[in-house]
Amino acid sequence: MRSVVHKWFFIWQLDKESLWINDMADHGYGLVKGGRITFEFDDVEPGKYIYSSLFLKGNGYSAKNMEFYRFLEDMGITMINRINYPGTCCVYLRALKEDHPNGIEIYSDIDSKIAYESTLMWYLLFLVFFNVFAFLLNFNSGLRMAGGLSAINMFAAFCSLTLVIASSVYFFKLLVRIHRLRKERQIHE
Amino acid sequence: MPQQALTEAVYYILLSLDTPLHGYGIIQNVADLSGGRVRLAAGTLYGAINTMLEKGWIDALPENPESRKKEYVITASGRNILKEEYDRLKELVENGKGLLEGN
Repeated sequence: MRSVVHKWFFIWQLDKESLWINDMADHGYGLVKGGRITFEFDDVEPGKYIYSSLFLKGNGYSAKNMEFYRFLEDMGITMINRINYPGTCCVYLRALKEDHPNGIEIYSDIDSKIAYESTLMWYLLFLVFFNVFAFLLNFNSGLRMAGGLSAINMFAAFCSLTLVIASSVYFFKLLVRIHRLRKERQIHE
Repeated sequence: MPQQALTEAVYYILLSLDTPLHGYGIIQNVADLSGGRVRLAAGTLYGAINTMLEKGWIDALPENPESRKKEYVITASGRNILKEEYDRLKELVENGKGLLEGN
């Protein structure tokens, strides 16, 4: 039986989203479609599957990424959904829990982890700048216009500012993680 | 030109591909060879395989009709690189032996 759940996850809440999807799977609901806001689940054996998600460069339907999905399939990891964003895509993966009891790990070497976190960090920086621009635009318009329209602009400005603050926090967390990985790289592989 | 050190993962992947193996087989073989110490994640293996294919150290074989999985095998060039790495590691061990086992 197909169930549809609406739940909001920001783009930087990948870990939180994965935790929730896996909790659903442990209760017998396996993700089949969707992500970020709208999730579709089918009935599955509780605890049979484990899920993960990650960002890949480029379009989710590109030849390069399609080849990666085929490679993952050989590892028993199935790509079940992809969501495209400008310049990147978020893919949702599923595997048997008995094969990956500690989670679906995609990168085990430090260089790949640094590259992956750096990609996320630059994308987040783009979001920060975009929302700073949106905030300034709406705040400026809100101040200049009279009547009800200014309230809409100010509300939009407030939303943009909130997004700037939230995404900046995660941006700096990523910066710290990358710094730690680079230090580790100086000593170990 | 002196050879740069291979990563442990690449070294073990090249060792594993003495006979044709598919991706999951490589992961299992590397874990067996290293006593479970070296664990390769799928994305890491994918990147390493593509790099080694570009360098000509390994070849991709046609899809195995039984397993329907793509297999890879080491090339002559790959064997040379592996031999050089083995010699480099031997030098490291010999240099360490005197200091660490001699006392």
